[in-house]
Amino acid sequence: MLELKNVSKSFSSITAVDHVSFTARAGEVTGYLGPNGSGKSTTMKMITGLMEMTSGAILFEGEPIQRDLLAYKRRMGYVPEEPHLYAHLSGLEYLIMVGQLRDLPAKPTAERIDSLLRLFSLHGDRNVAISSYSKGMRQKVLLSAALLHNPDLLLLDEPFSGLDVGTALVLRSLIQELAARGKVVLFSSHELETVERVCSRVVILHRGKIVADDSIEHLRTLMELPTLESIFSQLAVEQDTTAISREIADVINA
Amino acid sequence: MKQAQFRVLYRQFLFRMVDLELLSTSAHGDVSKLLGQIAALLLFVSMLFSLAALNFKGPRPFVEYLLISTNMLAVGLLAVLSWESTFPDRRDVLVLAPLPLRARSIFIAKVAAVASALGLTIGALNALTGIAWPPVLAPDGFIAVLRSYAAYWIAMLGSGTFVFCSVLTVQGLAALLPRRQFLRLSAFLQMAAFCFFLSTYFMNPSPWLPSVWFVGLFNSMTGSPVSAAFAPRALIGLAASILGAATAFLLSYFRTIRKIVEEPDILPGSGGRRWLPRFGDSLATAIVQFSIRTLLRSRQHRVMFAFYVGIGFTFVILFLKTPRAQQDRIAESDAALLFSTVVMMCVWVVGARVVFSMPLALHANWIFRLTEVRGAPKYLAAIRRPLFVLAVAPVWTATAALLFSMWPWWRAAAHLALLGLWGIALAYICLRDFQKIPFTCSYRPGKSYIHMAVLAALGLLLVISIAVRFELQALDDPAKFAVMFAILLVASFCARWAAVTASEEAAVQFEDLEPPAIQGLGLTRDGVMPLGLETEKGV
Repeated sequence: MLELKNVSKSFSSITAVDHVSFTARAGEVTGYLGPNGSGKSTTMKMITGLMEMTSGAILFEGEPIQRDLLAYKRRMGYVPEEPHLYAHLSGLEYLIMVGQLRDLPAKPTAERIDSLLRLFSLHGDRNVAISSYSKGMRQKVLLSAALLHNPDLLLLDEPFSGLDVGTALVLRSLIQELAARGKVVLFSSHELETVERVCSRVVILHRGKIVADDSIEHLRTLMELPTLESIFSQLAVEQDTTAISREIADVINA
Repeated sequence: MKQAQFRVLYRQFLFRMVDLELLSTSAHGDVSKLLGQIAALLLFVSMLFSLAALNFKGPRPFVEYLLISTNMLAVGLLAVLSWESTFPDRRDVLVLAPLPLRARSIFIAKVAAVASALGLTIGALNALTGIAWPPVLAPDGFIAVLRSYAAYWIAMLGSGTFVFCSVLTVQGLAALLPRRQFLRLSAFLQMAAFCFFLSTYFMNPSPWLPSVWFVGLFNSMTGSPVSAAFAPRALIGLAASILGAATAFLLSYFRTIRKIVEEPDILPGSGGRRWLPRFGDSLATAIVQFSIRTLLRSRQHRVMFAFYVGIGFTFVILFLKTPRAQQDRIAESDAALLFSTVVMMCVWVVGARVVFSMPLALHANWIFRLTEVRGAPKYLAAIRRPLFVLAVAPVWTATAALLFSMWPWWRAAAHLALLGLWGIALAYICLRDFQKIPFTCSYRPGKSYIHMAVLAALGLLLVISIAVRFELQALDDPAKFAVMFAILLVASFCARWAAVTASEEAAVQFEDLEPPAIQGLGLTRDGVMPLGLETEKGV
């Protein structure tokens, strides 16, 4: 179980994440939603240990992650929002390097890499430099790197970005399958339709604060709204979207 | 509208001649500092050369040759460093092609930016020499001085343009190859050009050297007969290089740009030719393999490394040309070989250490942060290995191959033992306070003290030249050899101890930190406890 207790992050005078508390349980997929700049990726980076929090505590299986950060990192897989990779390496070289850095046994890791590359349809391009990869191919490399060590906690920040329809469908099922096998999955995305299909619970963030933390079903009943999109719009979208789109059209016509 | 487009493009192209990716993420705005440093360095060189004009009584042709060849060297280095920015690249094409811009606008802006960079380099390098030397080099008379000024600047602009355009021509010819082959060949051409410019700078004047042609051009304009016969060669060379560069530029706009767009996004891989051996445990293997691949595949790092290798060759040539070395016929003796191998070991180690500090794809370093699952000490131990694999081992191996083919085995083995210890000691000295995985930490320019580095290099050269003379005797005297071996062994142990101790409490560094606003002096009241700790411990 992953628990965030009153986690805050400030950059100078700006509070990006403000006393955020929620729990992601094993066996379920927790959606983490919010508009751009709401603090989703900052929270993700704090959960990965890439960024230090200003205050609060992050616990994994009851233990603060900072107590044994190395042990925690061994059990965590992360797909970042941006596909930043070493583009001069090939997909295969990158995954082998990740396996070596994670201290995984060489032979089984090589077999696992081979299987992942085949399943993600990257095997034919495994020796090609990542600089030649498309966005979707890079995303597949990131997913493979995150899954390589069979993590207990999976942090997915926009994992569907750039994926073709087939791979996106596979990933959607994979996320559910991994959760069903007892893994903690925290999933951040702007694709509300996917979130609605994949996640059992959602946490909605707005301006660094949590505005909803419940099951999608319960939120629907509570707010008397038919879809997650309408719930999200009511809780986290302040603008009149129709008026803004009209204004944009007026601006470019002027 | 077109003028506005030109201004924007010109500015972008001019500033893109410096690679921004090397800079620290928190060092925004330091590009101007970096450019300022380069300009200051050129002005410093100019000042040094112009001071020599104050009381000059030496031979004129030597000075003319030195000034012109220095100018050509500086421009040559600029041409190599801005290799990727002189022609439109993939990024230019993909960003600019969808915009309603004419190819002609891009072409003119690019040429103007390149010409400005060339002009600024020549201007900064000759800012003071161009004022101080022409009167000294002129025959008597006011008109002669005016002629000398005009001749000086024409010769400098001409020689600089010749070098720059020659590089562009070579690049343009290479660009006729399929793009993938061009990119591969470019890397070798750049390194070759670097070493060529540095080594020809120190050669004795000869009729086939372009710097001599431009000395001739200068003299023909001032009315001096010295080398004036070579002036036509300078003019023909200049015209040919300009024509070649213009053709290369035109071709690049009509042919290369289209090739870039038509090039498939995915290039075929090179099969199983990417195998590398293990270098210890999996962590060390990952870090060393990553370092090797980065150094081999990153153009900017290769060029930077080539620069240090070029400096190494320069030092060797300079040493062999000193009056003392000429008098002792060093070049023909074993001392030349000993000196060359030790100097090359030093420049490879120092060069590799400097290049390791320059990041590649800084945003991608999150994977190293996230997979740091074994604690800092193991990482810091693994971080040291690439320097030994990429710097000490290649020089040592090449030297071994050379010496065993030339010398008796015992003599070769003795020098290799000493050379190995030189390499180990220097590598550990360089690794002190180096807590970065190579190529993964941001870089903050303006931290290095160039004058101190120059002094350190001169000091090291002095130590090496003394050590080489001693070693020459030691190779024939077992007692002296034992002394030298013991000294280097102790030095290696001390350097290792210092490097390991310094990294015991350290963490792996991914961000080049800003220097503290207040610098602690490390003063102690009782000689043991730092002053700041007294209050912490309630003393």
